Amino acid sequence: MNTEKKFRIHISGDKLVLLAANVAVFILFTALNKNFLTVANMINILIAASLVGLVAVGHTYLIIAGQNDLSPGSLAAFSGVLAALLVSKGIPFFAAVLLTIMCGVLVGAFNAFMVNKIRLEAFIATLVTQSIIRGFAFIICGGKPVSVSDKTFVALGKARVFYVPVAVWIMIICIVIFGIILAKTKFGRSIYAIGGNQDAARLAGLNPQRIITICYTMMGVPCSIGGIIFAARMNSGQPSANVNLEFDAITAVILGGVSFVGGVGDMGGTVLGIILIQAFNTGLIMVNVPTFWHYVARGGLLLFALTSDYMRKQKREKDLLAASMKNL
Amino acid sequence: MTYHFRHMPANKFGIIDTGKANEMAAKIIEDFGLPIHPAMKVKDLSIAYQQMVEIMKAYSRENLKVICFDAPTASLSDSEIEMLFKIIVKLKAEGKIIIYVSHRMDEIQRITDKVAIFKDGHYVDTVKTGVVPEDEMIRMMVGRDLGDIYKDLDRDKEIGDVLLEVKNVSSDYVKENSFVLHKGEVLGFSGLVGAGRTELMRAIIGADAMRTGEVFLEGKSILNRSPHEAMEHGIVLVPEDRKMQGILANLSVSDNINISLLDQNSDKLGFVSREKEAKAAEEGIRNFKIKTPSPDKKIVELSGGNQQKCIVARWISTNPKVLILDEPTKGIDVGAKSEFCQMICQFAKQGLGVILISSELPEVIGLSDRIIVMKSLKIVGEVDGAEATESKLLSLGMIGEVREA
Repeated sequence: MNTEKKFRIHISGDKLVLLAANVAVFILFTALNKNFLTVANMINILIAASLVGLVAVGHTYLIIAGQNDLSPGSLAAFSGVLAALLVSKGIPFFAAVLLTIMCGVLVGAFNAFMVNKIRLEAFIATLVTQSIIRGFAFIICGGKPVSVSDKTFVALGKARVFYVPVAVWIMIICIVIFGIILAKTKFGRSIYAIGGNQDAARLAGLNPQRIITICYTMMGVPCSIGGIIFAARMNSGQPSANVNLEFDAITAVILGGVSFVGGVGDMGGTVLGIILIQAFNTGLIMVNVPTFWHYVARGGLLLFALTSDYMRKQKREKDLLAASMKNL
Repeated sequence: MTYHFRHMPANKFGIIDTGKANEMAAKIIEDFGLPIHPAMKVKDLSIAYQQMVEIMKAYSRENLKVICFDAPTASLSDSEIEMLFKIIVKLKAEGKIIIYVSHRMDEIQRITDKVAIFKDGHYVDTVKTGVVPEDEMIRMMVGRDLGDIYKDLDRDKEIGDVLLEVKNVSSDYVKENSFVLHKGEVLGFSGLVGAGRTELMRAIIGADAMRTGEVFLEGKSILNRSPHEAMEHGIVLVPEDRKMQGILANLSVSDNINISLLDQNSDKLGFVSREKEAKAAEEGIRNFKIKTPSPDKKIVELSGGNQQKCIVARWISTNPKVLILDEPTKGIDVGAKSEFCQMICQFAKQGLGVILISSELPEVIGLSDRIIVMKSLKIVGEVDGAEATESKLLSLGMIGEVREA
C-alpha cells in the first residue's frame, strides 16, 4: 500500500466567492454601524443563527437529495409549544424533549410518506404539513402561549459554556454530526447519488425511497430541537412563532452552493450560507432598515441565491459541453 | 374540442367561434366515419383515436398535399390498424401523397405502392411493392460484411451448466417469457426496438415489478424485488440509456465505480473507507483501460465509451454471476467497440453468464453462442450462434418466423 499521505484543502472557486460575499457583508455593515463587528454582536448573530442553522442542516440533506421542506417553521413552533406543555404538566424536561423530538420525526415520516407513496412534489407535500402542523401548534395549547418556568428548560436558552451560549453549541454539534455523515458515510454518498439521478441510482442498487425517508425523518430532529431552544429563549412556547423559518434556511443552503436541482453541495457551504444570511438579517436591523423592507431584502437575497445557483449550473453544463467536445 | 389548433374560426377580435369550430370538426369526423364527439377532450380518447385526431388535424389544412406517417402503428391494436389503413386509403383516393415509415413488412406489403429502402443512414434503392419479395427487401436492408472486429475474438466455446432459468416471467410492460442461460455463455437478444427485450430484463432484475413467473439462479428460486436484491444475488444490468440510467452525472469516476460497492467499502457504522474506494477505482480504471486523467474527474467529462466502461467496471467489481448488457456499444466509437467485444468474451471465459441485448446484428451474431429473438413483447425464436445470419434474425424479429432466401 502507498502510505504517502497527501494533505489537500479543497477550496473551490464557488467557496471563495461565498467567503468574499461574507467578508463584503461584514465590511458593509461595519462601515454603516461600528457596533456591528464586536464580540457581543457576533455572539448575537450566532444565537440568532442557531435556529436557522439547525433547520438549514436538515435542508442541506433534503435539497442535495433533490427534495425540499416547507414545514420546519410550523414544526419548530409546534415543538416549542409541545415541550413547554409537557413540562408544565410535570413531565421531566429530558423526557419532554425526547417525546417532542419523536413527534418531529413522525412529522418527517409523514412528509416522506406523501413524497414516496402518494408521489407528491416535495414543495406541495410539505406545504400540506406546514398548515396541518401550524394548526396543531394552536390546537394543543388552545391558541395561548405556554410559559416556561422549569429551570433546566430556561437554562437551555440562557446558559453559556466557554462564553458561547448552549444553543450555539447545539447547532455546532448538529452541523458537525450531520456534516460528517454527509461527507464520510455510505448514507451520505447515497444522498448525492439519488439527488443526481434517482433512476440511475436505483438501477445501481440503491433504494431511493428509503434514503428519502431517512432524510425527512432526520429533518424532524433539528427542527424540533430548534423549536425547543427558541421556546427556552422566549420563556414560552408560542404557536405563532417561527413563521418563514424555512425561507431563511433554504436561502442559506442555496447561498452555500447546494444546487436546487440536487446532487451538488456540502455542509461547509451551508455553514458559510448560514453566517451570511444571519449577518445580513442582523445588519438590516442594526442600520435601521424599516421592518417591512426586511421582507423585500430577504426576497432579493433569495433571488440572488437562486440566480447564482442557476449561473453555476449553466457554467457546469458549459464546462461539460467543452469537455465532451474535446473527446470527440 | 378535439382538434383545429391553427385553423380556428375566429372573429376580428380573435375570439373563437366555438359553435362554428365544432361544426367544422363534426364534418371532418363524419368524413372519416369515426365515433368521436367534437367537444370531447383529446386526453379522454384512446391512443388510436388520438392519432386519428392528429391525422384529422393535418387533414383540416386546406393546402394539404403530403402526409408523412412515422411508424404510426407502434401503439395500435389490430382493429385500430385496420381503421388507420381505411383512412390512408381514403386520403390516397383523394390524391394526397402518403409517406409511410415502418419496419413492419406486412404493413408495407399491404398499404404501399413503392418502397424506398434505407440502411445505416444511407439510401439503398426504391422498389415496387409486390414485385420484389420480402426476403429480397430484407437482404437489401442488411447486405453488408460482418465487421472484422468479430473475426479474431477469443471465443472459448466451453459452456457450462444452467446458470439462470427464467420461467414465464412477465411485468406490466412485457408478456410471459421463458429462457435459460448457461455458465460461460453469451446469450444474444435480438429483435426490433420496442420488442420488449429491455422490459424483460428489467422484470428479471426487479427494476419493474414481476407480475408472473419465477427466476432460478443455479437451481435455486430467487426473488428480486429491486435492483439491489438482484445485485446481491449476482445479477446485474448495464442499462441501455447510459446518460439517464447508467451514469451518475454529478459524481466522479471513482464514485461511479464505487456506488454499488458501498456495502463492501464501509464499516459497521457506515463510514466509507477511502483506501478501499481508491483501490477499487484504480482497479477498474486499469482493468478496463478507462481513459481518465484521474479517478476524481467527473464522469461526464469522459467520452461515451469510457463512461460505459465505468458502468461495466462498477458491476464487475461486485463479482456478479450474470451480466446483462443492454445495447452496450450504442453511441461509442469503433475502437472502444472492439474493446467491448473482447471484454464480453473475457467475461464469458471467466464463467459469467452474459446476456447481450443488441440491435446491431453483426455484433449479436459475432459474439453470441445462442440468440433469442423477441417480437411484440414475446420470445419468438432461438437461433444457434453459428447458424445465425442477419436475414434469419431480421425475419424472425419482423415476421416472427424464419424464411430463408
